[in-house]
Amino acid sequence: MHTLRIKLFLGLLLAGLTCFGANDSGRIFRKLAGNHPDSVASAIENMVNDGSPEYYYILNALLESSLYTHPRIVENAGLVTALLDKNQQLKLYSCFPGGKELHIASFIASDLTEIKIPRKTRNLIQPVAAKIQLYHWNPEKKKLAMKSIAASGTIDDLALLQKVLANETDPNVIKAGTDAINQLSLLLPDAADRIKAIDGLQENNSPDALSILSAHAQIEQDPTVLKHIQQAVDSIESSNRRTEIAQNLFTGLSLGSVLILMALGLAIIYGLMGIINMAHGEFMMIGAYTTFIVQGIFIDLVPPAFFNYYFWVAMPCSFVIAGLFGILIETLIIRHLYNKPLESLLATWGVSLILIQLARTIFGDLTAVKAPSFATGGLELSSQLTLPYNRLFIMGLTIAVIIIIQLLLSKTTLGLKIRAVTQNRNMSACLGVPTGRINRYAFFLGTGIAGLAGWAITLVGNVVPNMGQTFIVDSFLVVVTGGVGKLLGTVFSGLGMGFLTKIFEPFFQAVYGKVIILILVILFLQVKPTGLFPAKGRSED
Amino acid sequence: MTAAIILLILIPLGNKNGYIDNVTINLWGRYLAFAIVAIGIDLVWGFTGVLSLCQALFFGLGGYAIAMHMSLHKSGSPATLPDFMAWNGITELPLFWQPFQSFPATLLLGLIIPGIAAFILAYFAFRSRIKGVYFAIITQALAFAAYLLFLRNETMLGGTNGLTDFKVLLGLNLSDSDVKLGLYMLTAATMLAVYIGSRKLVHSKLGKVLVAIRDSEHRVRYTGYSATAFKVFIFVAAAVIAALGGMLYVPQTGIITPGRMDVQASIEMIVWVAVGGRGTLAGAILGALGVNMLYSYATSAFPGSWLYILGILFIAVVLLIPKGLVGLFANFPPSIEKEKWSVQIAQLARYTKLF
Repeated sequence: MHTLRIKLFLGLLLAGLTCFGANDSGRIFRKLAGNHPDSVASAIENMVNDGSPEYYYILNALLESSLYTHPRIVENAGLVTALLDKNQQLKLYSCFPGGKELHIASFIASDLTEIKIPRKTRNLIQPVAAKIQLYHWNPEKKKLAMKSIAASGTIDDLALLQKVLANETDPNVIKAGTDAINQLSLLLPDAADRIKAIDGLQENNSPDALSILSAHAQIEQDPTVLKHIQQAVDSIESSNRRTEIAQNLFTGLSLGSVLILMALGLAIIYGLMGIINMAHGEFMMIGAYTTFIVQGIFIDLVPPAFFNYYFWVAMPCSFVIAGLFGILIETLIIRHLYNKPLESLLATWGVSLILIQLARTIFGDLTAVKAPSFATGGLELSSQLTLPYNRLFIMGLTIAVIIIIQLLLSKTTLGLKIRAVTQNRNMSACLGVPTGRINRYAFFLGTGIAGLAGWAITLVGNVVPNMGQTFIVDSFLVVVTGGVGKLLGTVFSGLGMGFLTKIFEPFFQAVYGKVIILILVILFLQVKPTGLFPAKGRSED
Repeated sequence: MTAAIILLILIPLGNKNGYIDNVTINLWGRYLAFAIVAIGIDLVWGFTGVLSLCQALFFGLGGYAIAMHMSLHKSGSPATLPDFMAWNGITELPLFWQPFQSFPATLLLGLIIPGIAAFILAYFAFRSRIKGVYFAIITQALAFAAYLLFLRNETMLGGTNGLTDFKVLLGLNLSDSDVKLGLYMLTAATMLAVYIGSRKLVHSKLGKVLVAIRDSEHRVRYTGYSATAFKVFIFVAAAVIAALGGMLYVPQTGIITPGRMDVQASIEMIVWVAVGGRGTLAGAILGALGVNMLYSYATSAFPGSWLYILGILFIAVVLLIPKGLVGLFANFPPSIEKEKWSVQIAQLARYTKLF
């Protein structure tokens, strides 16, 4: 009896203590869950005044309007954070401590009740928002917060940044944090500290490093530190120049690959049939529009989760449809014009006019193709040099096509027949090669490759009716310089043209670069008038 | 001869007496300027077999020359700064504009500059035996590059808008109907002069060598003629003729833009000659007049479908009537004294490869 009463009293005391003392957080949560503006405001005030980082998860959630209550959650007075993940699905996370994913059976979004921040409280949070966001779950937000503290903070914030950085695991955030710390350290009184900070900024070489250093140089008094800043600036600038050149070379490479794709088809057609296909650019356009249509079909008929597969489905479609158009043109028009390049030039120009106008009538002048998700973003080689995935993909595609075509021409019977007809049409016919059919196959192949080029180019450019025109002149120059004898000629001259165009661009404008390239081509043709690898065989006059 | 009478006498009389209005005179003046260009193209392509896809460039160079002169003299005799320069903040006339202040210099430069450009291109191309298709592609690239250059603002040639808004040439007001008539007659006379000159050229020994080059260049070289020299000569001649046409064209149009000298314009000029019949000078004139009349008709009757018509025209001309309209009508109309109608129709059908 006696002990029972004592235990009861102690238990009540304990309960009371826990109610009042350490369970402040419980009170705060209940105030929040009540969802009354005044109680929410008071809860927020408590959390901000308390200042301990454990509350920051909830504060961040409040700032993002992602704090809710769910009736079936028991802990933390039913408070949860609800966020959309990258597949656009709603997921629930605990909010104290934050970040643990919660699973609820038969979860419906409408069960959630949002906790809204009263307007006047936003003003309370705003001054400390940057500090709060240092603890955000999203690394991008963290980086932003660090940047803003570095830009407008004082030396006192250094300690806070260092504390946050100590527990950080994400390498990008660590880098941003180091930059922020260095930027703030520039304000330290000791010159040696400042020099260390300058070295740190130079080492990381973030995009803002240059402007931060230059801005600080304006207010710096110490001559040794100033010299140090100058050295750092110089080294950053020279490394920037190097990466710019590398970036230019890379873009030149990717431009060259598109030209190679187009020129391959042209070279096969010209080498085999002796006709100039001025409509080649339009077959590229057909491939691009096919991709656009496939994308449209996927948007309408296929669930969003499979959307990215439209790209792969579009590949054979572009090839086949461009090839079919090619066969159509071949049967109607080209067939009568073999070995009459000048006539075929005119006739195919007419075809190109008609195709462009058709595209304009059907699709209008401006359409857009959305890139599939794998192709966005890039391979980061360094902080300044990013190789975009889409261009890497195009280059890979070109290499694959070159290898396939080379294998096709050298190892298959069809390739053998194509080569035979290219070298001597009449003799091949005498030996039983069906030249008409070979022509059709080769034309299908050539225009199909152009269609593939169009499919690939939707990753980097717009799809407009006259997109072929921008490539046709350059592609022909590639064929002229490379010669139609070997594939290698087309590859070399395509790469060369791509590089030269991009190399000239920083010095002259793109237009003057084109003029210079033209002059170079004419000079090159002085030495080799039929191209790098001219077609061998008897040439009739 | 009959053409000369019609063009030079009847039509002007009709205009003076109000039968033919000023718009038609202006239109025909422009058509005849195009016909001049077409004669040049026929000389270099129809007779010598060299396909050049940059004739519109030379045409444009001549046109720009006269346009620059007129832009400088907008308000009469003393030269003033053209408008677009004032808009771009340029206060002093650039060096290369200065010679165009005087009319004789303009005339000279308008013909010499395209000539020199053509000479450089032709010399370097033909001496390394760049032939046929490769040469055509080079000229196409040149036309494209020049078009892009003229589009830029910093080349100080008016950029995308070109040169326009000139009203006075040599003190004569361009919108005056007498001046329009005068320009028309000048153009007609020039065209006839060029035609007669070309006929003389074609029937001379030089012309025979040109035709031989078209038919077999190797043999021409073997027989000791310098095919390069002939080709360069005729290419430059065609360029100068095109520039002449341009200089007569622009005062009658009132504007010149880079779009007039891009690749598409050049290829259209080729189609005039192809439709009319290459290898015959009359065919070139006929084609130029015919296709442009079709253009005027089609853009008013079926707006928006001109490109379809042009494209189909290209294909049809190349496939069905390779000798052009002149060749088509060489054996037409059927006459009772000659063979029977059926034979003539059969000949016609064979000609056009319809069957």
